[in-house]
Amino acid sequence: MTLSVERNMYILLSDALADAVEKAAASTVSVVARPRLPSSGIAVTADLVLTADHAIEYEEDIRILLPDGSESKASLAGRDPGSDLALLHLDHPSLVPAEYFSEEARVGQLVLALGRPTSEGIQASQGVLSFIGGPIQTNRGSMLNRFYRSDAIPYPGFSGGPLVDSSARVIGINTTGFSSGVPIAIPAGFAWQVAESLHLHGRIRRGFLGIRSQPVEIPTAVQNLLGRTQASGLMLVNVEPGSPADRSGLMLGDIITGLNGSTIVDHDSLLQNLTGDVVGKAVSVEILRAGTKQVLTVTIREQR
Amino acid sequence: MEKTIDVNQNVYGRFALSAELDEQVAATLQRVLRSLVQVQNGRRGAGAGIIWKSDGVILTNSHVVGKGQLKVTLSDGSQHRGSLLERSSDLDLALVKVDASRLPTALIADSRSLRVGQIALAVGHPWGQVGFVTAGIISALGTAETRSRKEVPYIRLDAALAPGNSGGPLVNAAGGVIGINTMIIGGDQGVAIPSHLAAAFVDQVASSANVQVV
Repeated sequence: MTLSVERNMYILLSDALADAVEKAAASTVSVVARPRLPSSGIAVTADLVLTADHAIEYEEDIRILLPDGSESKASLAGRDPGSDLALLHLDHPSLVPAEYFSEEARVGQLVLALGRPTSEGIQASQGVLSFIGGPIQTNRGSMLNRFYRSDAIPYPGFSGGPLVDSSARVIGINTTGFSSGVPIAIPAGFAWQVAESLHLHGRIRRGFLGIRSQPVEIPTAVQNLLGRTQASGLMLVNVEPGSPADRSGLMLGDIITGLNGSTIVDHDSLLQNLTGDVVGKAVSVEILRAGTKQVLTVTIREQR
Repeated sequence: MEKTIDVNQNVYGRFALSAELDEQVAATLQRVLRSLVQVQNGRRGAGAGIIWKSDGVILTNSHVVGKGQLKVTLSDGSQHRGSLLERSSDLDLALVKVDASRLPTALIADSRSLRVGQIALAVGHPWGQVGFVTAGIISALGTAETRSRKEVPYIRLDAALAPGNSGGPLVNAAGGVIGINTMIIGGDQGVAIPSHLAAAFVDQVASSANVQVV
């Protein structure tokens, strides 16, 4: 067959990939906040950079290397070790904000991982979205509702950089900051929410009950009390005196089966429902106590 | 039947993958596979190389050539004795001559205008698998310091290469050689010396008085 250069789909594909890298690279910066290896960051506004929290080893004298080769000082706007995200504020607003895609990505779709670990220019690797996981309780003491994995090579210094789709939209933030350095991407919709909270409050608020609990089976006969099929709940093994749980009348041995209208079957589902949204609010807590169903009201406090 | 493609649209996002794409990838590789050779120096396994000029001038890695007698196997299976014309340990390049003519040459592309993200294919003989193709994208365009403290630009592929890839070509989506793969920088990372440096090396050898390369 003849190779027509103008119509060759393979060349078009190659150029499209380079275009996507170039577009996403305009919003990808280098973050110098640890010795030796810089990490990467994503511009969310003209003066705010979202990056990986674990790569911020010192909070003073943070430097940002911009795509045009210039350098800017940055201060810490907020950090959330739980989600391994941090927000940096630049002295001079000069960034090109990244376009992000907050809907769920699809397994098999083409992705590019970008990073700027050196001053020599953008770096990228290509692959597919391999897996969508979650919810998981992270080793950083928080819940990650969803996370992405891809087979694109995570080069050193790629943490904090974007995972983008073929249109250069950010679908996730790459990090190796979770358990045992496994490279994952934090979905963009969630990451941008965290960025907004960090911008407004400097931190992420999480709800606090003041209990220790363990998941227990609920016998079928007892499930009838709930009026639904629910095979497990959380039995309280400790209630901290003076805590929201204590004040609401929760007692040792109670089995929590619901909170604020959501079913609670294990630690993960409890953590998912103790977000910043419920802090300061009086919410219903459904329990099984001595073979009866009861509903109490608990005022959630912020976790410190 | 010809298909029209709107260049302004994203190929991956808008078009169904088709057999046409498969054909184009295969066509891209045809010429470079014909010019691909195996270079053996009598000691270790075979490295790779490409026919740079049709009169038997072959480009490979300096570390592939070693010090032994050279045996060059062409893509048609014929074997030739090779003699070393010139080598550069800084660039890890070597020019080898075989006594043959009208050989199929590789298409050399300009490597001065490469972009990160472009498709690149490494062709060689990793672990003795002759004519093996490894696809990826250009993951970085950087510079490395050689043992003699010289700064050398390199192209990095986002795929791992193996012994036997050394000296083989890195080609772009149009089938042009953009680099010569080498493993002296960065272990199994797919790193190549840009083809414009290779071309300059060949020209320098050609212009020196005591070596004749036509």
